[in-house]
Parts: sequence; C-alpha cells; structure tokens
Amino acid sequence: MKEIMTVVSASSLGKIYEANGVKVEVLKDIDFDVKRGEFTIIDGPSGSGKTTLLNIVGSIDKPTSGKIIVFGEDLRARDEDFLASFRCNNIGFVFQSYNLVSTLTVAENIAFPMEWARKNEDHIRGRVDELLGLVDLQHRAEHFPFQLSGGEQQRVAFARALANDPPLLLVDEPTGNLDVKTSSKIIQILSTLKEDGKTIIVATHDEHISELAQQRLCLEDGMLMSENE
Amino acid sequence: MSETSFSINDLLRRKMQTSLVIISLALCVASTLFLLLFAQKMGFGISSVVEGKLTAGFSLVFSPFITLLVILISAAGIVMISFTAFIMTSQRTRDIGLMKAAGCPNNLLFGYFFTELLIVSLVGCFVGTILGILLDMASTSLLNGLGLQFSQQPASPWMPIAVFVSFFALCLILGGTPVLSAIRAEPARAFSPAHYLGLGKEPGFKVVSKSGISLRIAVRTLVRHKSATIRIVLCLSIVFLLVTVAVAGGLIAEDTTGSWVEKAVGRNTLLIAHQDMVNQYKLLLSEFYEGQKAIQFNYTDERYLIPSSLSSQLRSLNGTMGVDARLVLEEPVKEVPGIIYGSSTEQTTSVGDSRQGESLVVGVDPGNVLNDWSLNGRFLAENQSAEAVVGDSLAGKLFSSPLNQKIRISNEDLSVVGVCLDPINNGNVTYVPITTLQTVTGVSGPNVLMVKLDSSANETDVLKKISSIVANAGFQVFPLDEAVDKSVGFLNFIWSTIMFLPLFSLITASLSLLGYVMLTIDEQRQEFGILRALGAKPKTVLAIVSAQSLIVLLGSYAVGIAFGIITTLLILVQEPLVTTYTVIEIAAWLLLALAVTFASSVYPAIRFAKKPLLETMTQS
Repeated sequence: MKEIMTVVSASSLGKIYEANGVKVEVLKDIDFDVKRGEFTIIDGPSGSGKTTLLNIVGSIDKPTSGKIIVFGEDLRARDEDFLASFRCNNIGFVFQSYNLVSTLTVAENIAFPMEWARKNEDHIRGRVDELLGLVDLQHRAEHFPFQLSGGEQQRVAFARALANDPPLLLVDEPTGNLDVKTSSKIIQILSTLKEDGKTIIVATHDEHISELAQQRLCLEDGMLMSENE
Repeated sequence: MSETSFSINDLLRRKMQTSLVIISLALCVASTLFLLLFAQKMGFGISSVVEGKLTAGFSLVFSPFITLLVILISAAGIVMISFTAFIMTSQRTRDIGLMKAAGCPNNLLFGYFFTELLIVSLVGCFVGTILGILLDMASTSLLNGLGLQFSQQPASPWMPIAVFVSFFALCLILGGTPVLSAIRAEPARAFSPAHYLGLGKEPGFKVVSKSGISLRIAVRTLVRHKSATIRIVLCLSIVFLLVTVAVAGGLIAEDTTGSWVEKAVGRNTLLIAHQDMVNQYKLLLSEFYEGQKAIQFNYTDERYLIPSSLSSQLRSLNGTMGVDARLVLEEPVKEVPGIIYGSSTEQTTSVGDSRQGESLVVGVDPGNVLNDWSLNGRFLAENQSAEAVVGDSLAGKLFSSPLNQKIRISNEDLSVVGVCLDPINNGNVTYVPITTLQTVTGVSGPNVLMVKLDSSANETDVLKKISSIVANAGFQVFPLDEAVDKSVGFLNFIWSTIMFLPLFSLITASLSLLGYVMLTIDEQRQEFGILRALGAKPKTVLAIVSAQSLIVLLGSYAVGIAFGIITTLLILVQEPLVTTYTVIEIAAWLLLALAVTFASSVYPAIRFAKKPLLETMTQS
C-alpha cells in the first residue's frame, strides 16, 4: 500500500456559525497541507479561528464549505460512526481546557481511549505506566482531575492523547494557562514527540513552541494570512 | 445586581437546564396530584358502585388497598421531588463555590440561588398542579367513555391546593439544603466534584475489559455518582413498590375474592327446590352483585319442603358427589349478653349489647355440607347442636367480638364458632345445625337441596337425569355456576377499575424516569462529548446511557417488587390465592412495566446521541 505523505490537506475551507440569527464567518477560504512527521503551529490572536480549525482537522466539527482530507479520508463526507473510529485510531487531541473526565482517575483517563480501541488489559496497564512516566505523573495515578494542578491536568491530557499512539496529534493552546516552569515541561514533551516523528499541529501563541515548528500558519479573522515553511 | 434580576437572568441564560428542571418538577407534581385525585375519585366511584352490594368482608379488601396506594403515591411523590430538587441545586453548587471564591458575600449568594429555587419551584409546582387537574379530567372523560361512572369534579377541591403547597414547601426545604451546605462549605470544597457529585471511588486502578465495555463504563459512572444513584434508586424503588402493590395486589385480591365466592356459593353445584324457592334463592344471591333486596317470602310453606325420598334418589345417582339438604328461613337473630373469660388477661369481661337483626338462617347437616367457606374460626361440628356460624355482614352488625359470643334464635342460644364470607343475602346469614333449626321452628324437612356434580362424569347426561327426577317430584333445578359467574364478574369489574391505577402509576413512573434521564444526560453531557471526541461512537454513548438507566431500573425493580410482594401478601390480602396463572399474569404486567419505563428512558438518550459532537462538548 502506498504510504500517504500528506497527512492533512485543506482546500477552500470555510466555517460559518449562526447564533441568535447572526452569522459569524469563523474560517474563510483556508488552504494548507501538513506532511507526515511535520510539526505545524497555528498562530493568531484570540478569536481568529485556531480552535475551530483544529476541531475541523480533528473531525470534531465539520466545515461549512471546502474540503478537509486527513490520512486520505474526506472527513466532510463521512458519518459519525466512521469519524469516531477514525479519531480513536488516528488522532490524539489535547484540548485547551484539558477536558478530562471528572469522574475518572488519572490512570483511568489515560486508559480510556485504549479501552475504546479494545486493547487488552496487559497492554493498557503497560501503556498507562509508560505514559505516566513520560509526563512524570506516576505518583498521581489514583487522583481525580480536580485534585491536580492545571499543569498536571495538561500533562494528563497529553498522556491521554498519546494513549493509542496516534500518528497525528492536535494540541490546542497547551501552555496558555501555565507558568514558565510547567510550560517548559510541556514543550519538552512536544519536542520528544517531534523527535519520535509524530505529525503534530499546535494552536499556540507560545514563541518557545513556535521554535519547534517546521510550518507556521497565521490566522487573522478566520483567514490564513501567511504560511511559512 | 438585585437577587431577583440576577436569578431571572441566570435562569434565562441557562434555558435548557431551567426548562428541564421545571419540566421534571411539573411532571412529578402533576403525576402525584393526578394519582391522588384519581385514587380518591376511584374510591368514591367504587363505594357508590358497591353501595348496598358486597359483604362487609369483601368491602374490607378494597379500602386498605386504596389507602395503601394513596400512601405510596404520596411517598413516591415526595421522594421524586427530593431527587429533582437535589439534582437542580447540586448542579449549581460548583457555581456557588466559584462565586464564593470570587468574594461574593454568603447572604447575597444565598439570596441569588434561593430566589432561583423559589422561581423554578413556583413555576414547576404551578404548572404541575394545572397539568395534574387536566390529566384527571381527561382520564375521567376517557373512563366514562368506556362505560364507567366517575364524577368530573375533583373528589376533594382542596387536594390540588394541598399538593401545590406541600410540594412547593418540600422543594424549598429539600432544594435549599444543598445550597445552604455549599454556601457554608469552603469555596474549594464547594466546587469540587467530590462535594457536588458525592464522588466516591473503589480502590485500585481497574481496566475496563473489552467485553461489555458500555455496561462496565455505565456501572463505573453510577458508582462514582453515588449520591445521585442512591437517590434515583430509592425514588424508583418506591414507584415500583407502588406498581407491584397495585398490580400484584390487584390480581391476587381479584383471584382470592373470586375464590371466596366460588367456595361459598359452590362451583359445579345444582340448587334443587320449588320454583318459588329457586327464584327467592337467586334473589338472595344477586344482592351481592345487584344490590336487589329479596322480597317478603314464606319459607315455611309446606309446598317447598323436599321429601327425603328425593334426596336419597339423587344421592344414589351416578355422577353426583354429594347431596346437601338445607332448611332456609328468615328469622330475627339476637345478640346474647354474657361474660367471657380472657385466658391471656385472666380476667372476665362483659360482652353483648342485646343487638338484633333480621337474618337468613340456614340449617345444614354439618357432616354433609358441600361448601368450603373462607372462615374466621371453624365450621359447625357434627355432634354439636348449639353452635352457629354467622356471615361477615351480620357479624359486623351484631358483635364486637363474634367468636366469643352467643346468638339467640327463637329462644335457643347458640355459640358463634365461626364467621364466614358468604355472598348470599349479602352476608346477613347464619348457619346452624338443621336439626336444631327444625326443633326451634317446627319445620319438618329441608326446603333446598344442593347437589355436587362429579366433574369426571358426563355433565349433560347427569343434568338431564337429575332434571327428569326433580321435575317428576315437582321441583326445579338451577345450576349455581350462573350465580357464581355473575358474582365473580362483578368483583372482576371492580378490580379492573382499580387496575387503571397501576396503569397510570406506570405512566407517571415512566415520566419520572424520563425526567431523571434528561437531567442526568444534561449533567454528563460534557463527559459524553469527551468520550465521543476520544472515539466513542454515538451508539456507544446511547448504550452507556441505556445501560445506566437499565441498571438503575433493575436495581429499583428488584427492591420495589420484593417489598411490593411482601406488602401484598402480608398486609393486603389474608390467605391469598396465588395460582400459576396469577403468577404469570403478574410477571407479564411487571415485565411490561419494566419495558415501558426503560423504553421511555431511552428516548432522551437517542436524541442526545444524535446531537453534533461539538454541541455535546460545550456546556449550555
């Protein structure tokens, strides 16, 4: 089977939200590609459409117009069942607000995507230990999310996103709410993942993360202002 | 910002949660009020239907049954309202914690959230009360359309007001408590899920295995949300207890009372008497189901006496199992005052008040009696001449403690040894030894013969032979099965009317569960959104919600049914008759109850699963 080199391909992508009868055009005519193993950042001021673009790439949201192809699949044309399996096996998502399940412990939150992927128990236990080691949270395994600091929750979110070893990692503002010390830990994790050859797209303002980028997409008012390789 | 404007703005901005809570409260109040109004109306309806009919013993089965149902309906309503109030305010304790942390003074905070509670409770209870009255009117019209005769007016006009006031007060008390507790707690504790979800955890990290993943996740979620789980299980257990008591109690009582009639009147039995006597006997039996009073009748007329040769001829006939010769009369029966010795108290007590009543007096030969009455005490002994067994209605009229007393018939004092349930003459009946009755009245023979047919024989042939023998002697045959069927049919009619109550209870239980599922889905919507974002399919979310509902339902179902059956057998029906058919019928009804409530709980889950992923992930 021919290996797909372009992981993400967006063409003429547009997104319009409608609230209280008012239409808001969040993304306008976006075109870009992300290649396998590439580290891409999406930059831009708040409200420029970074999270919406990540959501569309991650198949959590659908574009109003245009085409989005990820790993050769036209996501706009696929139904929810397909997209669920697709997300489970191909995409790791780190949300801006962490989105950890409040009723599950750290270990359970990390194990969760693997349970969906029907991995066996030994594999899940081993992988949870490995990922807890990666994010340096072995001592927090049995704690609930509300018992963790923001930085720790962010690291759990990373571990969870990596659980099924997805080829594409989408990260939304990973250091936005964190102090310098905690941010550097997150950057270190991203750097390690980049070295491992993961395709990573990060929405961020953080200059330290930008330094890792091989491609930089600048959004302003929903439009792609520049695309720097 | 004033308390009122904050509260109104807050409620309007959280349209979905506000509507859900108001709908849940309204459904709860409406269902409780409706059931109370309907039960009361049904109680009056049945009283008017059975007025002058049924015996005291039979009527006694209905009244505690309806009283218990009313108590259970009220209890279910209170628990449901407590659950809704808990969900409503526990959803806000996180916000209370956050506002406390932001420096909002406690009194202002209490003002904000208590005003919200006040507005929501007032609207919910008011809408529920109106809805309850409308439901009552609609169901009354429906039932009257089916041929029943229920009054359109509420049985008690104060009932809707009483329900509104009590439920409104309950909402404020039960909903205000978590608000107050969150306000008193430290801010960090108040917005911790450990506080507002009652989050608990079983020890150790357990991986959910591949098989039955939805079920295992559902179990884990329910265990973690223990406060809400315990409350809904308690709430639904009472609802299922109510449904079980109504269904099982109704069916068992229907079969039991039916069997009492069969045993007292006689199934597969022929009445042989003079034509006038047959007509009179039919009238006496019809008092139970038609309330038609028997006319003045000369029982001692010589023409009615049956010669012993006829009895002997019938006894020797193939296809008969026994002949029971009786002397039926109408006599005044007096209560005899006396002194009794209580063995437990070791004291003597004066009993008897010289009360008097007209009674049908039936002389029987205790050794040849064909019937098998439901008795309190015992039947007449073969060698005792001064004993009597009285019917339940007569016992109620004449005695406070019948088994310790004596009656007097034509100057003959007889000890009451038993009280029987007998529909003849509507329970105003006294059974005495035929020899004693013949002695005191001077009547020389029986005026009625009861002939029990052998069920293994050819009934048509035997009946033909008996009819021919009896006609030659100038008498008539009347199969008592006809009277038994009419009496049992009347009892069935009353019980089937009562069975509308479990049906309506079931509908309200489904509505309550619907409210619970809507609230819990809303509470977990972000969590489900995350699950879907991580790769759970919509149908998996549906399976998890359904599994949660099913676990809660089955748990409540088991508790409700167990206690319902115990209550029915121990409290409602004495010496219950439970046949295989009854068990199958009860099981079918209860399975239907489970299926209906489960199906109704799945609907909001289906709607939720169809929502776009991004919408489920954002708290509205």
